[in-house]
Amino acid sequence: MGLRERLGKEWLFCDGGTGSILQGLGLKGGELPETWNLTRPDDIKALNKSYFDAGSNIVNTNTFGANRFKFDNVSEIVTAAVKICQKARKEAGREDDAYVAIDVGPTGKLLEPMGDLPFNVAVDVFAEIIKAGYEAGGDLVLIETMSDSYEAKAAVVAAKEVCDLPIIVTMVYDETGKLLTGGGVEGTVAMLEGLKVDAVGINCGFGPTQMLPIAERLVKCCSLPIVVNPNAGLPRTENGMTVYDVDPDDFASVMEQIAKLGVHVMGGCCGTTPDHISKMINTVKAVPFTAPTFKNETYVTSFADCVKIGKKPVIIGERINPTGKKKLQQALRDHNTDYLLTEALKQEEAGAHILDVNVGLPEIDEPSMMEDVVLKIQSVTNLPLQIDTTNIEALERGMRIYNGKPMINSVNGKEENIKAVMPLVAKYGGVLVALPLDEGGIPETSDGRIAIAKRIYEEADRYGIPRKDIVIDGLAMTVSSDPNSAIATLDTVRRVRDEFDGHSILGVSNISFGLPARELVNSHFLTMAMQNGLSCAIINPCNGPMMASYRSFNALMNLDPNLQEFITAFKDYVAGSTTVASTKSSGAASGAVLTLGEAIERGVVGRAAEAMKEALDSGRDSLEIIDSELIPSLDRVGKGFEAGTIFLPQLLMSADAAKAAFAVVKEAMADKPRNTKGQVIMATVKGDIHDIGKNIVKVMLENYGYDVIDLGKDVPPEVIVDCAIENNIKVVGLSALMTTTVASMEETIKLMREKKPDTKIVVGGAVMTPEYADQIGADAYAKDAMATVRYCDSVFEGSA
Amino acid sequence: MPLSVDIPEKEVLRYMGYRGISDIDPETQVRIDKAMEQVAAQSHPRVISKEYPVRIRGNEITVYNDTEEVILASESLARNLKDCCGAILLAATIGPACDMLVRRAAVTSSAEVSIYQATGAAAIEAFLDDYNDKLEKSYAAQGLFLRPRFSPGYGDLKLDHQKDWFRLLDITKHTGIELTDSLLMVPTKSVTAIIGIGIDKNKTGCSGCSGCNRHDTCAYSKEDK
Repeated sequence: MGLRERLGKEWLFCDGGTGSILQGLGLKGGELPETWNLTRPDDIKALNKSYFDAGSNIVNTNTFGANRFKFDNVSEIVTAAVKICQKARKEAGREDDAYVAIDVGPTGKLLEPMGDLPFNVAVDVFAEIIKAGYEAGGDLVLIETMSDSYEAKAAVVAAKEVCDLPIIVTMVYDETGKLLTGGGVEGTVAMLEGLKVDAVGINCGFGPTQMLPIAERLVKCCSLPIVVNPNAGLPRTENGMTVYDVDPDDFASVMEQIAKLGVHVMGGCCGTTPDHISKMINTVKAVPFTAPTFKNETYVTSFADCVKIGKKPVIIGERINPTGKKKLQQALRDHNTDYLLTEALKQEEAGAHILDVNVGLPEIDEPSMMEDVVLKIQSVTNLPLQIDTTNIEALERGMRIYNGKPMINSVNGKEENIKAVMPLVAKYGGVLVALPLDEGGIPETSDGRIAIAKRIYEEADRYGIPRKDIVIDGLAMTVSSDPNSAIATLDTVRRVRDEFDGHSILGVSNISFGLPARELVNSHFLTMAMQNGLSCAIINPCNGPMMASYRSFNALMNLDPNLQEFITAFKDYVAGSTTVASTKSSGAASGAVLTLGEAIERGVVGRAAEAMKEALDSGRDSLEIIDSELIPSLDRVGKGFEAGTIFLPQLLMSADAAKAAFAVVKEAMADKPRNTKGQVIMATVKGDIHDIGKNIVKVMLENYGYDVIDLGKDVPPEVIVDCAIENNIKVVGLSALMTTTVASMEETIKLMREKKPDTKIVVGGAVMTPEYADQIGADAYAKDAMATVRYCDSVFEGSA
Repeated sequence: MPLSVDIPEKEVLRYMGYRGISDIDPETQVRIDKAMEQVAAQSHPRVISKEYPVRIRGNEITVYNDTEEVILASESLARNLKDCCGAILLAATIGPACDMLVRRAAVTSSAEVSIYQATGAAAIEAFLDDYNDKLEKSYAAQGLFLRPRFSPGYGDLKLDHQKDWFRLLDITKHTGIELTDSLLMVPTKSVTAIIGIGIDKNKTGCSGCSGCNRHDTCAYSKEDK
């Protein structure tokens, strides 16, 4: 019988530890255990066989770390491991009821954006291992000891793309039920269920006793079969050897307790031996088996956060969507992701639970923009995202790179659309927004919408997408063109709740299109929709009246324990005011109004922008304001910094203020050609991921009128040189923080001299000294941002 | 599990580059207070440490593990560990949250980037100081004394030895700290170190700012120059 037919229907058992046994056989520190597949296959076979003999149904191949970062013959090593394990199974006489698991451990590298391994490269790395294991005849893929849900996702995607074998994923949590990267049990399970793996669980980290509470949480939230593979307790050193403190009898007795919680597959990890496993099997077999039960909770997750779609409505921030937003459109065209990130942070601060991300503009490459924006937003916020696009390629790229289980906006009732969207949701997982419209258009009545919703639910069943992961859009459309539209929408929302026990969503503000005082209509409509059972509201969370409705509703409906959210939000409320207390002050000093120059010198961001706007509004020429006020005040701060009377924080605050003032100028001159002193490239060299210093220099250069091409961090020499040639750049600024990366700085300089000798190179960074700069052939050393500005001035003025 | 120790504000200011002044403007003070509060609340410190026998011959330190011997070549570390026969290797981090706070700050304000960087640095050091104190007490009970902690990259101890620390302690698995190809740690607010165990109380070895060959030019030096 196949493993899939048995998982969750009867007790199944994994094997136990490998590393400690191999060390006992003479594996040296620093020696890679997987090499033994080729050099000492008999020892590995004996190890595998001892677990088949102990009664394990699932025995791992010796391939935990068999990835391309450690081996250049991955396929050979994995193939050998599978063959060895098959032989061991045959010799143990277990060919009928035991399975060879292609064992996949973490790569040892951290994925982007936290680390330096791109997601799609991680998928390739795992695919190489799994493909070799599949072709050699492995029966399942066991992805284990994952402490990062994102890496686990990469491995699962790889497995699904190279084979159709059952997939089991076990993660390492700490005592508090957190992954090392911050995710919790429930969110991780939701993501893995979305990815449609066959079983999930926990392994390694600690012993069975510490694992009990985590197993309990798994049983509560997980609809799939659950795997529990603990260590033999905690390691300690005895006579120079690592030993574990839980013996086979104790191990078996705690595993019995865990078995009674209602888990389904049990085994061991570090420190456990065939003896541990065989005693455990004997004990656990006597415990009555309980099949997994379906859990009806709906979660949207990020790598760290887990938002429940249920009784309490959820706020989805709508601001990252270019429709009707000129500034955002421009930001997308300029690839100014900072602007999008600012919008993301603002909405988080205002109280959004999920952020909608729509980057659709006809003139941009939407798929790569979506991928880039999803990655960048996830690097600054824990909030889950709603990937919002009609472009199927953009949707897939966004879902693939996404860390967690996203919301997807959207599918509709058209056959073609269902065929395009649902397979993606079935592959990557996600909570899917469904628009009840089809080839016949948008039904005017709730009857029509409910009929389409029903059909969409049925289609979801066919694709294996659970109904709990479908959220029906009530389709809010303006009452100014159809006086019945609000009624039809509210009816739809109510019937989704009552007739399907389903979830609903609305783009709330569409209801008031074309009306004055839209926020009045919107906020009342929101309350009415929530009263009719609305689960998700797509709104602008920075809008006071909308959030006031939302928080009041929760307070009144006993959805805000101790009214804490309400009180926190409105403790400073002034009657009659419609604005919600903002937590952020603009930084404007009370009392005296600062001039532009003062605001910059004192680093008051909000006031600097305001003062610049006032100056422009009064009809003054922007260049004149910059030359007579902005630059002199920056200079005063810069000189103070150089003299040691002003410290870095103040310099940076002034730079921030100047930047804000410049942003106002830029916006005002959006259509006019800009005057710059010249173009400068800035980059942190290859191998170095420190970009704080470089970013400071960039801000200062921009403030002083330079157009900076920022190539980012970890930039290869050829990229820098090619960019310099292409744009005929006069000055390149290179930054390196580490001694180890000065070599790539030198390499970059060498290549530049060879290919574009007239470009000047100024270097800086913590390890740099004037002597060092000289030694590697730089034109100049800059000890800080001001010095870089001065150097650029000297080059550009000298040649002007 | 938030940070269990207070972040010393004095250290935050030092990492920010303030030297010898006490009157921080109120705007900055508000931001520093907020950063200290957030970093403390969102940190999730983890540490792994293990004791090893060591032998010092000339400028060569041998660390003995059950399956291998690791040789560290460093004059300054040899001086630090003089007469020690054991040493604790450790790795600690305050977790990934501080890095995200820095990235968030980078979206809007370079000043806040420097504040969060400084706060994170002060936080991991404070956490380690506290951990160090506890180790010191437990060794003192056995009549043993600890030398000041020393990290790969200090003095002439090559940063390449990070790889040894990661292999010996299995750091990634226990703490979530990963080593990049350029030998940097992520989360960035992480530390690897060695602490000598000696029998002589007075031998404190060389350490801290005065033990560093960049002491004279370093902007962060603890001693006023």
